[in-house]
Amino acid sequence: MDDPKTLDLVKELVLRLLTPVDSPFSSAADELPRALRFAHRLLSSRMAPSLAPDELAMAESIKRQLAACGRSSDALAFADLHTKLSARSSAPGAVRNRWALLYLLKSLSDARRREPLLSSPARIGLPALPLDPQASHQPPLTAKKTLPSSGGVILVSKDPENIREIALREYADLVMDETEVSESALVRDILFVCQGIDGRYVRFDITSDCYGLPESLKLPRSTRTMVRKLCELGWLFRKVRGYITESMSSFPAEEVGTIGQAFCSALQDELSDYYKLLAVLESHSSNPIPTPGSISGVQGNYLSLRRLAVWLAEPMVRMRLMAVLVDGCRALRGGAMAGAIHGRAHHGDPLVQEFMGRLLRRVCSPLFEMVRSWVLEGELEDMFAEFFIQSQSVKAESLWREGYQIQSAMLPSFISPALAQRILRTGKSINFLRVCCEDSGWAAAAAEAAAHVGTTTRRGGIVYGETDALEALVVEAAKRIDRHLMDVIHKRYRFKDHCLAIKRYLLLGQGDFVQYLMDIVGPELSEPANTISSFQLAGLLETAIRASNAQYDDHDILDRLKVKMMEHNDGDRGWDVFSLEYDARVPLDTVFTASIMKKYLRIFNFLWKLKRVEHALIGVWKMMKPNSIISCIFTKEGASVKTQFVSVLRRCQVLWNEMNHFVTNFQYYIMFEVLEVSWARFSEEMDAAKDLDDLLAAHDKYLNSIVEKSLLGERSQAIIRILFILFDLILRLRCHAERWFERIFELQLRGTNKSRTKTKEPGSWLDGGRKALMQHAREFLRQMGEDLDKIAKEYSSSLDSFISQLPVQQHVDLKFLLFRLDFTEYYSRLSPSS
Amino acid sequence: MPREIITIQVGQCGNQIGMEFWKQLCLEHGIGKDGLLEDFATQGGDRKDVFFYQADDQHYIPRAILVDLEPRVINGIQNSEYRNLYNHENIFVSEHGGGAGNNWASGYHQGEQVVDDIMDMVDREADGSDSLEGFVLCHSIAGGTGSGMGSYLLETLNDRYSKKLVQTYSVFPNQMETSDVVVQPYNSLLTLKRLTLNADCVVVLDNTALNRIAVERLHLSNPTFAQTNSLVSTVMSASTTTLRYPGYMNNDLVGLLASLIPTPRCHFLMTGYTPLTVERQVNMIRKTTVLDVMRRLLQTKNIMVSSYARTKEASQAKYISILNIIQGDVDPTQVHESLQRIRERKLVNFIEWGPASIQVALSRKSPYIQTMHRVSGLMLANHTSIRHLFSKCLGQYEKLRKKQAFLDNYRKFPMFADNDLSEFDESREIIESLVDEYKACESPDYIKWGMEEQGEASVAAALDSKLVV
Repeated sequence: MDDPKTLDLVKELVLRLLTPVDSPFSSAADELPRALRFAHRLLSSRMAPSLAPDELAMAESIKRQLAACGRSSDALAFADLHTKLSARSSAPGAVRNRWALLYLLKSLSDARRREPLLSSPARIGLPALPLDPQASHQPPLTAKKTLPSSGGVILVSKDPENIREIALREYADLVMDETEVSESALVRDILFVCQGIDGRYVRFDITSDCYGLPESLKLPRSTRTMVRKLCELGWLFRKVRGYITESMSSFPAEEVGTIGQAFCSALQDELSDYYKLLAVLESHSSNPIPTPGSISGVQGNYLSLRRLAVWLAEPMVRMRLMAVLVDGCRALRGGAMAGAIHGRAHHGDPLVQEFMGRLLRRVCSPLFEMVRSWVLEGELEDMFAEFFIQSQSVKAESLWREGYQIQSAMLPSFISPALAQRILRTGKSINFLRVCCEDSGWAAAAAEAAAHVGTTTRRGGIVYGETDALEALVVEAAKRIDRHLMDVIHKRYRFKDHCLAIKRYLLLGQGDFVQYLMDIVGPELSEPANTISSFQLAGLLETAIRASNAQYDDHDILDRLKVKMMEHNDGDRGWDVFSLEYDARVPLDTVFTASIMKKYLRIFNFLWKLKRVEHALIGVWKMMKPNSIISCIFTKEGASVKTQFVSVLRRCQVLWNEMNHFVTNFQYYIMFEVLEVSWARFSEEMDAAKDLDDLLAAHDKYLNSIVEKSLLGERSQAIIRILFILFDLILRLRCHAERWFERIFELQLRGTNKSRTKTKEPGSWLDGGRKALMQHAREFLRQMGEDLDKIAKEYSSSLDSFISQLPVQQHVDLKFLLFRLDFTEYYSRLSPSS
Repeated sequence: MPREIITIQVGQCGNQIGMEFWKQLCLEHGIGKDGLLEDFATQGGDRKDVFFYQADDQHYIPRAILVDLEPRVINGIQNSEYRNLYNHENIFVSEHGGGAGNNWASGYHQGEQVVDDIMDMVDREADGSDSLEGFVLCHSIAGGTGSGMGSYLLETLNDRYSKKLVQTYSVFPNQMETSDVVVQPYNSLLTLKRLTLNADCVVVLDNTALNRIAVERLHLSNPTFAQTNSLVSTVMSASTTTLRYPGYMNNDLVGLLASLIPTPRCHFLMTGYTPLTVERQVNMIRKTTVLDVMRRLLQTKNIMVSSYARTKEASQAKYISILNIIQGDVDPTQVHESLQRIRERKLVNFIEWGPASIQVALSRKSPYIQTMHRVSGLMLANHTSIRHLFSKCLGQYEKLRKKQAFLDNYRKFPMFADNDLSEFDESREIIESLVDEYKACESPDYIKWGMEEQGEASVAAALDSKLVV
């Protein structure tokens, strides 16, 4: 200012300003000294605008203003000029104070807009120099320089006589009296507190869990309030930081998990933004800028508490959100945590929304990575059990059914249960293919699915917020993978062939095989169970296979057929423990699990028993078959014995016929109404099955329908007991018949010998002669008749109760069986009352 | 190779129908005329080893024994394109080649003399099988060789293989035409006795009915033997399908027959087959369903035994048992519906002294034979009306016997030497009692039949027997 060159320049400037004003009531020369003095005073003023000297912000504001006035081309031109100006900054003689320059230009432009109609010399945009200080009513806007170029200069009066000034000074004095601590110190303290560090005055009080100023400190109440309010941020920050450090330090622990880690890292990033802001504020605070009160002795700071409050308003909102999330997520992990965060994302405030979106994308990225690798690769990368699908270590056969389950607690709310199910199934399918089928074709299917929806199979393909895309991917992947899986099951593992094999061997569909097996293991099985060697039975099974058409079956299938001896108790015969088993092997044991095979075993045992009974009956028939010698026994002699014999024999035949009718028709029922019908349905459903679950369901239905209809179900126990009584009676008849007919042959032989040998060798075992023989025969036949009647009586009463129970079986439709058994209405005629 | 069945074909008729039967089996199993498996016959599922065995060069040989007392028919077979099919060691033609002269006694007597040779063949075949199920005898009952020698073989088999089944396909003579065999009533009667006592099951093939079917159903004005024989072979092969194509049930002959023959004496089965076609006759294609087939099978016009019953008797006739073997593409659920319909319409009369039902066996069809019809069915039935056929035979015998006609031919042979005609009387008695038993089966009191004329003991037994039911 003391530079004479500058003084001259100023004088020149003032003169210039004064001359063009053609004022009638004052001359330029008179006013020159006053104007000059004013200018000097202005220039020596240290008043600063209440804005941070940010050049770029200023330039931006100007540009915006221009654009807002619809002068976008000017805005562009300005931007261009500004860039040029900035580019020259390093050149010698460049304008150093560019911000001030811009500010001036802006102020001028603003002033002109505000007072366009003023009829003072300012109408050309130049404010009149207030020659009379009293008359100065200019708004107390500040300006650092006045330049004679275009644009107005706003005059700030700096008048010691000004009343406001006096009041302010008085107030400042008052404040100074009340305040022991300067504001700037408090500001610094607050800044510390905001970083979780105790300040000089503001300290954290553990007992009340908050920051506070010591009561002893003398401070105006407003300041206290302000400080307290600002300290909230510090408290929140402590909480958030505490959470982060706690989580990070315990990181590879299960209670944090990857999602917790992602959450922490997202919070960390938010905090680092916050740190940046604090750093800026701190630099501001150490860069004191005079305030209007400076002259009057109040040593102000650019960063007052109030300013700080404004600065920290937005971080406060975020910090609060974070603190709330931290509180809400403290006990949660994995998907549950993501869900909890998602629950707070629906917010009307775009700021919050955006913040939460950012946070969620970060938090959910591990989750979606898990979904992706599960859906497309079938891998569960879930070290900390955070995923909503949980694996259990099970045997391969139950991998599909029990290996993976949805953990509903871990299911974030932005994934619907239906979608979760689908996700589960898709991954399960791949997993199943990989683990059980050792198949690699799924990769192609997965890639195809991903390509179809337009995502990639690489990491990070799916992010939070694109639930639709996720769903589309999952649906597509599920469709293709399931198709592939079905393909593998059907083509490579020949599911249907194995089902047919089970039907043929375990359900006795291969009649010639079953018959031969029955023939050769029959004698063996009559032995006590504990004396039977299963090796020998296995050998017999092999023989039966070779001897029947089963020999043409696939070796893979025959290899799986095994003899199985069940647990046996004392007194069990081989019949009670023998059964066949089919080893389904991985992966088909997923369908034919141990419990399923147990059901098959029960069906086999039942059918086997039925076959055994049939076999026994046929055996009886063979003993009295038409061309057997017994049919012409005693034809020539002993009319009464003959009649007795014929009578007993006929009763035996009639009883046999009734039993055979029952067993045969029961078998027809089993074949037509149970096995074949169930199979036909299963076969249809098998072809229609779209995924493994469908297939399992169809198979279960098939098996259960057989179990129920074969009276093996829980609710059929009463009736099956009667059935077994009937079976036992038939087997008893067989035992008796064997004895009877042996005797009859013997008698017959004696009779013929007797008649042939006539009187030769009278001293032999024919001692008793003809009469004694006849007597003997009569006695025997009477005995046989009695035994027969006993069996017949028991049989018919059991059969009665069986038939009467048939219609009352509610749960299973047995009318077909009844229809067959009573085809000629023989039984209903017999007991019309019941 | 379980459940083998050895076929013995005796006499002119027996060899003719036997040959047709083997032709049919070869076709169904895809076995060529020289016994080699055709290239296309790879689908498996069929059991060839019941009726065939494989030679060292893998060609299939029928388990068949061909027996005749005159060379004509067997020579025909040996000159036919099937000559290499049979095992030549299994062919027996008597050295003199003079036949039996339509005389049962001559056939029986000659049988007695050559039985060792024939039984050698039988034993050899039986030893060659793992678990022999039984024998099938093809013959006619009217001529000399089939009836007489067949009778002798039946007795021998019954004696030697008493545990095995003996089933016969017996052709009954045409009663409508005057036969060139005047002594056929004698022959029939004598054979019937053996069929009653020594066979387990007789499938009655009534030439009268076969002719009638050929004329009425197939519209052949003058059916040839070949044509009627093809009907027979169809029946024979169809009745063995369940043995040859194993399934859940009816996989062996004994199981098949046991249900059909609950009372040992009544073992004469009728057959019915539908839809019937003869070769080169394709203009009669019908729509076939299970119900349709089962209903047709119950119609007398499709049954291959003539019904000689008067109306009143016919209405009393009852089925003792029925087995329908349905071949082809059948939905098992249709079976039940069909049975229901049949019961609703009361299309069958069953015996009243015990439970009975129509048994249905579903069997596969040979994949190598193209048939016009989707479903075909064979009925094997044990029906009491067959007694009228026997009555007819008895009646004809009585007529002839009264006149003492042609008995000299029989007296020449040891059985009837010294004018001992007791064999005739005994046979007559047995056939009569057979007829009576069938008749008794029509009554609900069958179980008491035959006891009334006896003493108190039998009455008590009869009373006891009520408890059985």
